[in-house]
Amino acid sequence: MEPPNLYPVKLYVYDLSKGLARRLSPIMLGKQLEGIWHTSIVVHKDEFFFGSGGISSCPPGGTLLGPPDSVVDVGSTEVTEEIFLEYLSSLGESLFRGEAYNLFEHNCNTFSNEVAQFLTGRKIPSYITDLPSEVLSTPFGQALRPFLDSIQIQPPGGSTVGRPNGQS
Amino acid sequence: MPHIISRTPRMAQSGRPSCLPAGKNTASSVTRVIVKTPGKQEDFMIADDTSVRQFKEKLSAHFKCQVDQLVLVFMGRLLKDHDILSQRGILDGHTIHLVIKSKHSSRSLAHSSRKPSTDEPCHQDKNTKGNSSGVHQPAGANHSPVESAVSAEPGVPRMHTQGLEVLSLERIAQILENPGIQQLLSNTDFMRRLISEHPDMQQLMQPNPEVSHIFDDSDVLWQTLELARNLAVIQEILQIQQPAQNLEHPSDPQSHVGSETTRGEDKALSQNSADFNDQMLSSSHDPFGGNLFTALLGGQVPEPVQSSPPSPPPPQEWQEQLPQLPTARVIYASSRDLSSTASASATPSKANQTSRANTAASSTYGWSHTCDVEQLTGSPALPSIELTQQPQAEDKDATTSLDSSDQKLEDDLRLLDEQTGSQIAGSMTQVLLNNPSLAAQMMLCMSMPQLSEQWRQQLPALPQQTQLSDMLTALANPKTSQAILQIEQGLQLLATEAPVLLPWVAPYLWGLGWLPAPSCSYPDTVPGAWDVPDMEEPKGPESCHKSGTVLQSLQSRDGDPSHLLQAPEIRFSKQMESLHAMGFGNHQANLQALIATEGDTSAAVHKLRRSQGS
Repeated sequence: MEPPNLYPVKLYVYDLSKGLARRLSPIMLGKQLEGIWHTSIVVHKDEFFFGSGGISSCPPGGTLLGPPDSVVDVGSTEVTEEIFLEYLSSLGESLFRGEAYNLFEHNCNTFSNEVAQFLTGRKIPSYITDLPSEVLSTPFGQALRPFLDSIQIQPPGGSTVGRPNGQS
Repeated sequence: MPHIISRTPRMAQSGRPSCLPAGKNTASSVTRVIVKTPGKQEDFMIADDTSVRQFKEKLSAHFKCQVDQLVLVFMGRLLKDHDILSQRGILDGHTIHLVIKSKHSSRSLAHSSRKPSTDEPCHQDKNTKGNSSGVHQPAGANHSPVESAVSAEPGVPRMHTQGLEVLSLERIAQILENPGIQQLLSNTDFMRRLISEHPDMQQLMQPNPEVSHIFDDSDVLWQTLELARNLAVIQEILQIQQPAQNLEHPSDPQSHVGSETTRGEDKALSQNSADFNDQMLSSSHDPFGGNLFTALLGGQVPEPVQSSPPSPPPPQEWQEQLPQLPTARVIYASSRDLSSTASASATPSKANQTSRANTAASSTYGWSHTCDVEQLTGSPALPSIELTQQPQAEDKDATTSLDSSDQKLEDDLRLLDEQTGSQIAGSMTQVLLNNPSLAAQMMLCMSMPQLSEQWRQQLPALPQQTQLSDMLTALANPKTSQAILQIEQGLQLLATEAPVLLPWVAPYLWGLGWLPAPSCSYPDTVPGAWDVPDMEEPKGPESCHKSGTVLQSLQSRDGDPSHLLQAPEIRFSKQMESLHAMGFGNHQANLQALIATEGDTSAAVHKLRRSQGS
């Protein structure tokens, strides 16, 4: 039997604050944050991410965020693109609808983590997934929680994945 | 045959920690595996030596689908039917991912158009995204190219918009460096009013009353403005803005640093920007047109052809076209708007073409003149609220200090983009028209730094609404701005060629019959005391009339500077009298205090008291 194809899976990490968090977090939060992380999974030459508009995809680095600040190698997967898209469609209809987006609980990194585990069985680095709890553990984060909860992020440049006719 | 038990409550069974069973074991130990499907997960108890096939059969019964539809993934590896689960390393508590393929094959991504050729063969038997129910193979191939074309198109305007945005944002950054705008931004109260009065802002605030809370907190607003003034921070924000359309946004009262972006802000701004960006992209009008500042910027770029679009229609038209702007964006846009006016002002004086002799040119010309003056000359800007007087004041100063300004103007000119400046001017005009006090205050602020208290005292009462409307309308007259520009250009040229002749301009003004003939004196860089407010600017839309007024003001300036060139004693004579009347007898001390406070009597009083008390 021929060896199965292995597709590399990468995690694109973007710092939404473009360095501001690293500089200002000690002052504002009282703890050092290296960045405000937005992540996306890149596999099969496509970038997939979750935002307030649901699951979106684009060519790698194709959002307005530009190229990622860092790339993490998650591993490799045998999952073909076909299966993966099916999987994403199911996710987009169930767990990762656009309206399910929540900055703290259910954000782009939640999605990336989920997908990474599906594709490779491994999780994404913890400093990314721990970010919400890090912020919420500060008085600043707690104070701003109602406001922050209402924030929705959707990096422009992607097209929706999931529903056949493009509706989310 | 070991049987498979499904859906039993979690029992910590199968105590075997790690080692894989060698083939079939005697003891039928059961392993609990977690099967995870998108949206849910369930536990399954299976025997160690279950094959994948058997497992699938069980799952298919459970999930009510066919075995062929099931795809099992473990650690990124697809599980083949003949595999034994335990041989794949699936142990107790491990998670297996399950994907149930839809009955009608799979879908393709919308933007997979970039690889249509390679996908075509594979997708022959696939449906496209646009069609998931009941359409069979033949349709799939047909849809792919259509989808490719469609998906390619959105990419193009998006890229285009992106390009425009990048250009303008850089320029905005440069424009924000303008000290005049910085000063304006430092006036919290004004900024708050300006932003609140903006129609788009009000549109935004109606459904979102909490947005207005931002402005109620002066602290927050101040921090925002601090941020706006800090160019370096803005540049960073601009970079964020490009992808995520982030804007400086009031953060929180706790922040000690001038409202730098927090994570929350970022997200908020992203959200706002994302919304706005969607609107932008969907807007049929020029993609960045909704953005006030680019419109303004663009208007100042020299155009060979001086167009004279009718001024009244554009404001309304632009008003309608302007999409709803999120809070932060409006703030930023307003800031940028103001900043762009500053440098925009430079252009009119420089560029011969200048203008789209249109609202943009005229309005911004008027408004930003004060700023520009500061920028150019460092001299006190014109105090006049009356816009008509501003241009001529600017003329005056420009003529007298062209050298440094020339270069700067050139630079400013180059900075400006080729968007429709009138758009922003239109909306700004509306705002100002509706709020004459706001306009007056803006003039005040823009010229505040240099001007200080002196002329502030002498400022007349805020012009009546009608006056201001007339002024703005007059300014909106393209011919008006043309005339002003020509005057300014002429004066500039004269100043360059023969500064000594500048005073002789006065006779020409007299010749127009508008002006009395006061004692001629050297034009002075410091307008200083501004007696012009006494001069009621006659109302009238005609441009020549307006020019006359400008010249008239210019002439009056002629008279004043000489006055001002004299000793501060004379400049501050009124204030000195006041101080004397208050009981400060020390003439020298009074004079010093007045000089230090530039004629602000009350400030001088404080100063004197402090010095006396100490």
